[in-house]
Formats: sequence, C-alpha cells, structure tokens
Amino acid sequence: MSPMRAAHHSSGKTDVEHELEHTARGPVYRVLAALAQTCLVIAGVQLVTLISIFGWLVWGRYVLNDTPTWVEQLALLLVVWITFLGAAAGVWNKSHLSIDFIREMMPDPLRIPMRWIAVIAVCVFGGFLAWQGWTLAEKTWPRNIPMLGIAEGWRAVPMAICGALTVVFSLYHVGELARGEYKLTGEL
Amino acid sequence: MGLAVLFGIFGLGLFCGMPVAFALGLAAVGGFLYEGLPLFIGFQRILSGVSVFSLLAIPFFIFAGELMMQGGIANRLVRLASSAVGSVRGGLGVVNVLSSMLFGGISGSAVADTSALGSILIPVMKDKGYDPDYAVNVTVTSSVAGIVIPPSHNMILYAVAAGGMSVSKLFIAGIVPGILMCLCLALVAYWVAVRRGYPAETFPGFKALGVATIVALPGLMTAVIIVGGVLSGVMTVTESGAFGAIWAILVTTLVYRELTWPAFKLAVITSVRTTALVMLLVATASAFSYLLALYRVPDLLGNFVAGISDNPLIILLMINLILLVLGMIMDMAALILICTPIFLPVAVGLGMDPVQFGVILMMNLGLGLCTPPVGACLFVGCVVGKIRIEQAVKSILPFYLAILVALMLVTYVPAFSMFLPSLME
Amino acid sequence: AEWRGWAIHPEDYPNTVAMQSFADQVAEVTEGRITPTVYANGILGSQPDAIEQVRSGALAWANFNMGPMGEIVPATNVLSLPFIFRDVEQMHHAMDGDVGQQFSDALSEAGIVALSWFDSGSRSFYNTKKPIHTPADVEGLKFRVMNNDLYVQMVDQLGGNATPMAYGEVYQSLQTGVIDGAENNYPSYESSNHYEVAKYYSITNHLILPECLCVAESVWEGVSDEDKAAIKEAAMDAAQLQRQLWAEREAKSLEVVEAAGSMVNEVEDPAAFQAAMEPIYANFISAHPDLESLIKDIQATE
Ligand code: NA
Ligand code: NA
Repeated sequence: MSPMRAAHHSSGKTDVEHELEHTARGPVYRVLAALAQTCLVIAGVQLVTLISIFGWLVWGRYVLNDTPTWVEQLALLLVVWITFLGAAAGVWNKSHLSIDFIREMMPDPLRIPMRWIAVIAVCVFGGFLAWQGWTLAEKTWPRNIPMLGIAEGWRAVPMAICGALTVVFSLYHVGELARGEYKLTGEL
Repeated sequence: MGLAVLFGIFGLGLFCGMPVAFALGLAAVGGFLYEGLPLFIGFQRILSGVSVFSLLAIPFFIFAGELMMQGGIANRLVRLASSAVGSVRGGLGVVNVLSSMLFGGISGSAVADTSALGSILIPVMKDKGYDPDYAVNVTVTSSVAGIVIPPSHNMILYAVAAGGMSVSKLFIAGIVPGILMCLCLALVAYWVAVRRGYPAETFPGFKALGVATIVALPGLMTAVIIVGGVLSGVMTVTESGAFGAIWAILVTTLVYRELTWPAFKLAVITSVRTTALVMLLVATASAFSYLLALYRVPDLLGNFVAGISDNPLIILLMINLILLVLGMIMDMAALILICTPIFLPVAVGLGMDPVQFGVILMMNLGLGLCTPPVGACLFVGCVVGKIRIEQAVKSILPFYLAILVALMLVTYVPAFSMFLPSLME
Repeated sequence: AEWRGWAIHPEDYPNTVAMQSFADQVAEVTEGRITPTVYANGILGSQPDAIEQVRSGALAWANFNMGPMGEIVPATNVLSLPFIFRDVEQMHHAMDGDVGQQFSDALSEAGIVALSWFDSGSRSFYNTKKPIHTPADVEGLKFRVMNNDLYVQMVDQLGGNATPMAYGEVYQSLQTGVIDGAENNYPSYESSNHYEVAKYYSITNHLILPECLCVAESVWEGVSDEDKAAIKEAAMDAAQLQRQLWAEREAKSLEVVEAAGSMVNEVEDPAAFQAAMEPIYANFISAHPDLESLIKDIQATE
C-alpha cells in the first residue's frame, strides 16, 4: 500500500545516504529502478490525461452539445495502461498486497524456501503475462477499437510490457534472495 | 478436481506470501491449463476485467483524495472538526471520528483516511496526553466509515461485481449506516476517554469555529461539486469523480496555494500506485472468477449456505460471520469481487435488497481492514502511530464492538440503509 | 461431449429459453453424445470476448447479436446500417434465404458456424422531451448510442448529438438529464426501466439486428453428418420458438410500458428518416465496395 510506503520513507535517510546506497547497489539496480520510475511517470501522465479528457467530455456534451465520442473508449484504454505500468512498478517496489506474516513467523528452514517460492511464482506469472499479452496483441491487431479507429491490440500491449518487466524485476529479487539481501519492502 | 487446482495454487501462493493479485492470476492459469482451455481466454478476461467503464471512478476518487491530502484540504477539515467538538472530554477522540466522517466521506478510501488523518491527529493526540494505542484504535476503526459514506470506490467495485446496479443508489444507501457507525464509535471513544481520564480542549469560541468553517468551506465544496454535478444532470457519477479531482486541483492551487509542483507529482504517483494495486486485483480476480463461474461455484456455495438453515436471521448471521473471517485474512477489493457473486444471490433469495447487502458487505469487510492478521488500515495506523500491532490490538475490542453493533443494526433493520434510496423513487 | 454455451440474457429471456430448448433437443436426438449447457447472464464474458472464445473452441456454441460482430466480421456491419430492413418480417425472409447464407459464409471464415437466426426486434428512439415525428424533432437532442460509428453517424445525420455511454449509466443519465434519450427495442426499454424516466417512445424501427445461434467451427468439424443434420434441425426449431417467444415478449413489454404511461407513437414519414441516411450508405459503400451487392440483395428481398 502506498500510504504505508510514504510513512516508511519519512522515517528514512538523507538524500546522500540514498545516493550512496544506490551506487553501492550497482548499475543493474539503478537501471531497473529507473525503469520502474519511468513506468510510474508515464502512467502519471496518462492519469492526468484521463482526468483532462473527462473534463473535455463534459464540456463538449453539456456546453457545446457535441459529445466527443472517442473519450469513453480512450479512457478505457488509458486505464489499462495505468494499471499495468503501475503494477510493474509495484513489483519492483514490492508494494502489491500480500499476506507475508505467516511466512515470516515460520522458522528459517521453512521461511527461506517459502520466500523463494513467492518470488519465483511472481516471475512465472510475469512470464505468462508477457507471453499471453503478446499473443493477445497479435490476435486482436486486425480489429479496431470502436470509435477510436486504432488497433484493439494496443489494449494488450501494456500487459505484455508489465509481464516482461515483472520477469526482470523478480529475477533481480531472486538475486537478492541468493545473496541473502532480500528485504520485505522495496524502496521508493 | 479443477477447483482443487484453482484453490490449491491460490492458497499455496497466499501462504508463501505471494502478492494476492499474482496468486489469483497464477491459480487461474493453473485452472485453464488443467481444463485444457486456451490460455489466452484467461488473459483476455484480465484485460476486460479492467476495461469496465464504472471502474474509471476508482482512479478519479483516489486521485481526488490524494490531492486533498497533499494540498491541505484534509488538515483544514480536521481543524473544523476540532473546533466543533474538541471541548468534550476525550474530545480529540471524537474529533478523530468526526474528521473521518468528513474526510472519508470525500476521499472514499479507508487507507488514505488512516494515513492522512492519522499522520495529522495521532501526534497531536499523543502530545495532549492520550495513549498511543487509543489514538491508533480510534483512527483505524473510524477510517472504515469512509468505505460506507459516499463516495466509495469499494462500492463501485461492488456495483460492478453485482452485475451493474445503480452506483448512486448505493452511495445514498451508505450515508445513514456510515453516520450510525461513527456515532457508535464516537460513544465508545468518549467512554474509553472518560475511563482513562483524558483531558478536554477548551472551546475556541464561535468566532473561531466560524473561521474554521469558512476556511474548510472550499474543501467541503468538493462534496457539493460531486453530488450537485450529478443531481443537476451536468455529469454522471463517474464523471463527477474526475471533476472532484479537477476541483481539488483548483482549490489547492488557487485558494489554499499549498499544492506545490512536487506535492502534485507525489499525489499523481501515489494515485497511480494505489490505482494499479486495486485494478490489478480486479483484473486477475476476473480470470479467477471465470473459472468459478464455469464450475458453477456461486450456485454450489449459495445452496450450501441456504442448506444450513432456513431461518433468514441465521443465514444472514452466517454470511456476516463468513465475511468477517474472510475479511481478517484477505484484502477488501479481492473479497468484494469474489464474494459478491457467491453471497448476493443468497441474500436476494431471502428478500434482501442488493443495495442493502452492498452496505452490509462494505461494513463487514471494512471491519476486516482493522483486524489482524491482515488489515491494511491497522497496519498503516500502527506505522503512523509508531506502535506495534499487538499493542494496538490489546485495547481495540470496544471499538470492534461499536462497529459490530452498527453492522447488526444495518443487517436486521433494512430502513437504516434503504430509507434514503427509497426516497429517490 | 459437453458443449458449453454462452448467453448474455437471463434464464427467462426468450433467447435463453430457446437456447435451453435447443440444448435439450440436441441431447435427446444425439442420445447424449452431445450435451449442450447454457451459461446465462454473460457470466463467461462480454460478447466480443465470447466471440473469441467460440472462435478458439473454448466455448462450443453461443447466441450472438450481429451488432458487435462488425469489428470481427466486417460483412456483418451491413446489418448495422440504419434502415437496412423495412421491417422484421423482411429481415426473417432475408436471413432464412440467400442473404442469410451469405452472412453464414462470412461468419464461417471467422470460424463461426451459424445454424439459425434469432430475432432481436427492431430498435427505435425514446426520449424524455417529446414525441419524434420528423427528423427535425431529433435536432439538438442527446441520444445515447452503442459504440459503433454507424450509429453515431445515424444520430448526427438526423441533427442529434450522439453520445456513446455505458449501458449501466443510461438510466440515471436519463433521469438527471445528462442525456435526453436512447434507442432500443420494447423488451429492453421495459426491462431496463428506462420507460420510467423517458416516456416518449417513437417507432422509427431504424435498426433491425438479427442474432445467430452458432457453433464453433472446430467443434462442428468433429460432429458426424447425421448428428449435424439433427442439430441443424434443432437450431431451426429453436429459432422458431425464439421468434414466437420474442413476439410475445414484445407485446407484453408494450403493454407494460403503455400501462405505466409511456407515449408510443408512429413517425409520420419513415421515408424522410431513410433519406437522411443516404450519406452513410454512400460512405459505407465507398469504404467496402465488395459489400454493395449484399446491400442490394437485402433491399431486393420481399
Ligand atoms: Na467515502
Ligand atoms: Na483484514
């Protein structure tokens, strides 16, 4: 949950300490963190777009009596993008809702394999998301989204991206597990 | 057997601490493979699960709430509530409840309410000599009112899961139960405060109260914009969410001038995160529920519950109990999506209105948000209040009871939820 | 083999009842070799999703409306042209004959075998303001239409403001005045309760959309010739039943809405409405020259 994250952050370190930690984590970490951040920024722009086109919709219908007919379908497309880009960043930040207290109560011989299972299972599902997202995009490419006139396949593209990023991010988490550096919560 | 695969993978995933949304998705993948169904259908369901018009209100309301927090609307609402009832003994506890009623009513998110009001009120309460566990208890339990008092994105989820009912009717139905819940909680907060001998604030005088009201007015207008915009026919409920956000931007930049560029960016990014978490759950839950529908699970479970007793009072109590227990171990959004198709037909079979059932479901699952082991509000409250979960839970029981009393009243007295919507007809 | 079937309507709806009767008849004539089942209320997904599921064979059979079929099988967009059929009877004649065969052929290229054609009545405009007699009465009114460019053009040509909107939002939007009207057949006008808030129903009959009872091609291929014939016959019987139930349902719905105070009126000059559609036909034919002969064939049907 994001508000929890925010609270964590406020108790945290200075910027310099953050910077040092990033450097210490090496280039792979920095590239992946930048990817996750990029997802959030793009999705953020899309969220602001979403709000704006709804303003335009109401203006067009109520004031101009000429409803922009593309808003509804574009909004549905945008929300899919926001969901999957945000979800990919959520994998990196480990902010998806999970029940980890059971696992964390377990003794080491159980807890450690359970952590491996959880991280690898996320990676596997990410693989399915990427593969099936791609398949769906291909399958629906010849068909257009009504009122928008662009390929239906654009709806499946963010799912494929989210899947691919999920695989990459959770592979990094596998690395953390292997090095014994795994943390329950990610960083902003 | 297919069901065993589905729930086996899901259960194992949860047990190992896999994110709920991913466990739902992976279980669905297992189910599709086991049934020999083309996999793409599961993922098609994931996509269509998100591409639902009424779900658009979720990012809108989340964003509006986030902007109000970052832009200074939330703390003005607290100040208003504090000047109004701060002079009562244990007044800050009552203020806390009242603020949740105001802020939760607008933001629609219990977790946002807990973190926003909690980070403002809990330090103040501790400062004035209130125990931290009390401060956390009040904050956490009263934030649940925000789920019932409109707007509420969880109610929108319910309307979708119920097969598309009137969201505005649901919203209106939640007003009285939400106030009822706050009333019960305020009584408990007062009672505990008196028993523990907490101090009262001095009444700041009517002039100060007036000032606080005027200062909070533009923020309170957000609710007016949302409700008024819908009733006057300018916009639909969904569109009003977008206007709530636009209005919040205008107020916090032009009137309060507190929404700086970094604060705005933070509001956007936080909203994206929260939206994505909720919507991914919706997405994978719809692949999961495709298989539930294919195995006709809702019929089976509904018959099971109906077979236990033919006394409607007992069946309703059973449903309440099951929901409470599920709410303790699972997240709210996922539960709404999974439980609605299962229990709604049973409740309707007993002659209950789907709108009333929606309110009951919200209250039940809301209580689950403040119970261990899994309670997002409880977690956030403890983080903000800087106490351990055990410490908070030790003294929270009277507050649970307050919510339970409200829940029972709403369950067995339909008028609490149905009177206002009946006026609409 | 179990044949999973998709239906969007509730169990007691004419289409769903007819599908259940088809299922029973098929199970009987094939002596249990094929047992179709019906999943009602669209619980297995929206129509576009269900179409994909039938094409992949995950669902064995379904009842599809031809409106949303247009994005997948372009030829079926012809059926979404406003005023393509004069009346429901002509639609029945066309679809039961050579025209229907042409649509079957187009569908089978997409992996869907159409066995028979159901009825979804004819759609007309209803609104909260006034009875519509001439195209000029539509001027300036906001009408909710389904998401299809042809329906948007139709309202635009009549001078109205076409407003795509999710079906679930329509009732309240009519009530509060976000939109002035919508368009549908009597049974939907009644069951959606829209008649409570929009009491002027004007019979334009602008859309007469047939529906198919269809089987997945991959499933159909595995059926013996003998069973195929029996299933086909069951589908024809189901269509007869559906059309009869549909007519009864329409009559009942009309009765309900009129008893509740709805004002139902005939339009004065249907030809004026049709004439306004000429640019739409011209656009459509220039975009799909191959479909011109199909349009001519429909218009030539008695
Ligand atoms: Na609320
Ligand atoms: Na909980």
